[in-house]
Parts: sequence; C-alpha cells; structure tokens
Amino acid sequence: MQPKDLYGRQLMLTATELATLPAGVQSRPGLTITATQIQCQRCGSILDRQTAQLPKNQFYCYQCLNLGRVSSLTPLYHIPEPNEFPQRPKLTWTGHLTVAQAACAADLQRAFAAHERHLLWAVTGAGKTEMLFPGLAWALQQGWRVAVASPRVDVCLELAPRLQAAFAGTTVAVLHGRQTAPYTYRQLTVCTTHQLLRFRAAFDVLVIDEVDAFPFAANQQLYYAVDHAVKPNGAVLYLTATPSAALLRQTRRGQLKLSYLPLRFHQHLLPTIQVTLLPKWWSVIVKGRLPAKLRRWLRAYATSGQRFLIFVPRIDQLAVVQAAIQRQFPTMRGQTVYSADPQRLDKVQQMRQEQVQYLITTTILERGVTFPGIDVLVLGADDPVFSTAALVQVAGRVGRSQQRPTGLVRFVSGSYTRAIKQAQRQIKLVNRKGRRLRHDVSTLPTVTDN
Amino acid sequence: MTCLLCQRSLTTKLTLTWLLSWQPVARPVVCAACWQQFQPIALATACPQCGRAQPQRQVCRDCQRWDPQPAFHNVALFTYNEAMQAYFQHYKFQGDYRLRAVFQPVLQQRLTQLTADRVVVIPVTAATIGTRGFNQVTGWLGTGINDGILTVTKTVAQSQKDRQARLATQQPFGLVPGIELAGQRIVLVDDVYTTGRTMRHAAQLILENGANSVTGLTLAR
Repeated sequence: MQPKDLYGRQLMLTATELATLPAGVQSRPGLTITATQIQCQRCGSILDRQTAQLPKNQFYCYQCLNLGRVSSLTPLYHIPEPNEFPQRPKLTWTGHLTVAQAACAADLQRAFAAHERHLLWAVTGAGKTEMLFPGLAWALQQGWRVAVASPRVDVCLELAPRLQAAFAGTTVAVLHGRQTAPYTYRQLTVCTTHQLLRFRAAFDVLVIDEVDAFPFAANQQLYYAVDHAVKPNGAVLYLTATPSAALLRQTRRGQLKLSYLPLRFHQHLLPTIQVTLLPKWWSVIVKGRLPAKLRRWLRAYATSGQRFLIFVPRIDQLAVVQAAIQRQFPTMRGQTVYSADPQRLDKVQQMRQEQVQYLITTTILERGVTFPGIDVLVLGADDPVFSTAALVQVAGRVGRSQQRPTGLVRFVSGSYTRAIKQAQRQIKLVNRKGRRLRHDVSTLPTVTDN
Repeated sequence: MTCLLCQRSLTTKLTLTWLLSWQPVARPVVCAACWQQFQPIALATACPQCGRAQPQRQVCRDCQRWDPQPAFHNVALFTYNEAMQAYFQHYKFQGDYRLRAVFQPVLQQRLTQLTADRVVVIPVTAATIGTRGFNQVTGWLGTGINDGILTVTKTVAQSQKDRQARLATQQPFGLVPGIELAGQRIVLVDDVYTTGRTMRHAAQLILENGANSVTGLTLAR
C-alpha cells in the first residue's frame, strides 16, 4: 500500500493492505464509545446503542454503511496531508468572464486566500463553474489541495470534464459511488459529497456545488463530512442558485460571506413562471387523454419541433403521461427518465444530441444539466416534492443558450402552493436585481428585454 | 419506523380484530413490497434431500450426483434469488447486523417445528469474527456469538469459488472435544445451501461421531 493512498484520507484497511502498511500511519478508533454516547468518527452520527450493538459488546455505525462499515473492531487509518504536489498546474482555459462574473471571481479568490467560508449565490446559468477558474488556478499555484464536490453524481460527471479541460496540465481525480476506477492522489479532485466522508483534513480549498440539492440539504452527516474533509484553516465555498433559509441566516450573522450574481452569462433575465390551474390534469391523463390546454401547447411543439422537458412528481406517472402524449402525437419522439433508470445517462445523452424531442422526467434533471434552447413544463407543480428550490431550478433549465436566451416555463397545478409563489417571488427578486446590475454596469452590452 | 431493506416508512394498520385480541403489537421490520421479493419454498414439492424448490417432489439432479446419505436431508426456506442475494450482500458482507431481524421470526419458528435433541450452527472462521463481528446464523437464532460444538479451520470462503472448487474443498470442520453426540437427532443450521459441500461436510462429521440423524436447515437454497 502506497503512503499516497492515505494522504488526507481516513480508511478501513483489509488484512492484505495492513501487511504493507507504510510508515507514519496514524490510526484511531472508528467509534468513540462512552457510557452515555456512541459517535461514528467518520460520519459524526450519534448512534442508538441498541441498534448499533454487535455481539460481545462491540458496536458498528449503521449510518454510513454504504462506504464500508465503521465499527469498534477495526480502526480508521490516516496520514496527515503533506501537499506533495511537485508540479503547479496552470489554467489553460481561454474564455472570458463578463465584468460581473470577473468581480465575483475576484471575490472568490480573495475568500480562498483569507481561508474564509463563503457563499456564491448566482442565478441558474450564470456561469458558476467559469467563475471558479481564477480562484482555483490561484489555489493550485500555491500548491494547495482542492476539491469540488456536489451532492449529485450527474453534476460531478458534468463538472469533471470541464475542470479537466480548464486545467489540462494536471489530471483531475473523479470519485463517486458508481465508479470502478481506483482512488488516485491528485491535487484537484471532483467528487460527490458522500465521498468526502473518506477524507480527513485533506483540502485547503473545498467547493460545494449545488448545496441546496438532495441529499446534501438537511443532512447532518454531509455537513460533518465537509467540516472534517477540509483542513482546520481551509476555505469552504458554497455555490447555489437557490440558497436555503439556513445558509442565508448564516450570511446575516456574518458566519458566511456572500457574493451575489443576479445575471446570467448572456445578460438576459430569468424566464418567469406561468402557472395554469388545472386541478383535474391527472384524472384526464390517466384516461389516456390530454387536457385541452396541454394539447394545444404540445401541438405547437409538434409543428415547430421545439424541444422541451416535462417534469412530473412521481416515477409511476412517467409512463402514463408518455402514453397519453404518444397517443395524441405519435410522430413526436420522446423518452422517460428517472433516478434508478438503467439507461439514464444514455437517454440524457440522446436528448443532448437532439435525437429525441422531449424527455419526461422526475426531479433528477432539475439541476446540473443543460439542454440548449428548451422549454419546460411541470405537471403537478403543487406536489410536495417540488420545493421552492426545485421549482426555481426547474425554471432555470430554460433560456440557457446565447442563441435562445428566452423560453417558456409553464406549471400545471391544482392550486397556487406556497412553494410556487415563493419560486415566482424569488425569480422576480433576482430579475429586479439583475436589471439594476445590467443598468449599473454600462460597459456591458445592452439587450432589450421583452 | 422504516423498512430495514428499502428505508421507506412503515405503517402498521391497527384492526379491530387485533384490538380485541389483546395481543401485543407485532411490528413488522420490512415492508410488504420487500417481503414479496423473497420466494418461499413449498415443502410439499421441494427436493427431499436438499430442499430445492421444484415443480414436483423428486430427488433433484444435484442430489443424484452425491453419494446417498440416508441419515441426512436438508430443509430450505427461500429460493436464492436476487432479493436474497442483495440481502446477504448487506447482512453478511456489508455487516449490517440490524438485518438479522428480517428472518429471525421465520427461521426460529421453523426450528421449533423440527424435532431435535441438539441444534448445531455452522461456525465462521476466527478471522471473520474479527472483522465482521458476528456469526450470521446465530444472529438469526439469538446471540450472534460463534459458540457451538463445531470448530472450523478455513482458507478461502466458499462464496469466492466456482462450483468445481467448492466441491473439491476438504473437510474444514472439527468437533470440540468432550461432546457426546451418540444416538442424537441433530438439526444443523446454515445460511445458504449452494452445492451442499459445507453442509455435507458438517453432517458427515456429526454422523461419524455417532449421531442418529442430521437435518439441515438453511435460509436459502
């Protein structure tokens, strides 16, 4: 076993790995057990004594089992991060930032240098990844270890090639639960937030993309993972388009600095949400028919060839909705996709390559994916699965390309729920700020808003 | 309460019959959807020697290849299907000891239906106890401790080998000294009967030491 495999990591080892243990390895118990409390040292969960019990007064953690079991039988092994990076990679990205983007990017770099916790609130499609580049390049030049983590594996898979292209001189390590390639020690890592549980005081800069996404939001385990994967004096940067109330509270208290970008990279405002109240949309679709309004919209798409996404609340509704659409418009080609779909990546790829005109999907495609120039339809937007953040993200799928910076976002709903109203309000607020920013920065190309 | 296997929330419906029965609440640990994934083996048509699920009651092809052993037969509760494989993956190999509760009631109930002078559990190696921390079979039966009258010296786990290699395995079991088995009816419990090699090694050892008969009981076949 190479020492590099343990730099900044905390792992359980097999018997064969233990036989070749390098020098300087620290080990500590996987669980701290006191008379009153048992805590997992990897995920930080406080465990129920009875549930965590193994025979002979041993215990195990039932909260982070998927990453291999932590128990009182085996310790966690760790080597402190030495930042052993002989080469300092340069930024090979040659694109340009707009004035507003550059200002945010400078903010981020300053936050990294000051070892601060920072929040970047940028609207969907603002070009968050590009804004990271100057700061990341600076950090890598310092010889710092950097990770970009996201709760969603799709987001990781989309981020990794972009970062690899931007830093062509180095190899980006990609870590997520579904991969088979072994771990490699790299200066720049892209991983899911769950993988952070395997790190300990490793990163000087840790960027969490889409902090408001499931499963990160309201998951104590993952917040613990972030706090421990970063070095005690490291910088943490949260990126989001829809910050939670908890994050915004932290900014107000001064525990978290805030940068704000209310304009998309192409300087257009966010498309606003149009809500249509159709309380019986589902009972009509179940019968294999389409509500008249929906039929009219889809007919327009069928003739124009405009591509679109349909979001539904639940997986079992996918097939029903598709059957109804297929019956009315047999010539339109579409697919359904959900989280556990074995062909998920394939179908999304088909949509990207414009082989299908529409996708019917659950909330898995709400963020992190870009299909240029699409429209979005949400059926049953009043369902509890569509939180405010989810609705804003869904609306944010529209108008992401320079060629078609506008588009239609239509919600079909039984009622105006609080989430829908808040989403509309949030978009209105960002657009107001965006309009002001566009006005202030007179050097930007002016675009008439219609 | 959530289902141990799929983590969806579990709801128990309280019926009037239950209310009037004065019985304690039977709290299920898995949801109906997960439970239906497991296929119970119909005893009436299963192979009389190994307990495999079959359309008709007859000695299956695997058992015809074994040397006849009239004093031994095996009973299995469930077919080894994908759901069972996933269960063993989580319970045995990932080591989620909570999952013992899934099959605890059915296995213990089946055990009471078999007449036995002594219940013997297939042991796991000391190395396994050192890392896994429990014996998966005694987990179902109660303690999870590797106690019993059999000892085991083992090299490679059966689950790591193909059929030929499994069948070629040498006798891995020994008997704890000072155990009297003469004339007893023994029930031998294990997790899975695959080729039958492990079970038959243990049965042979017990019969050689004077036991009258050995009935195997496995969760899966």
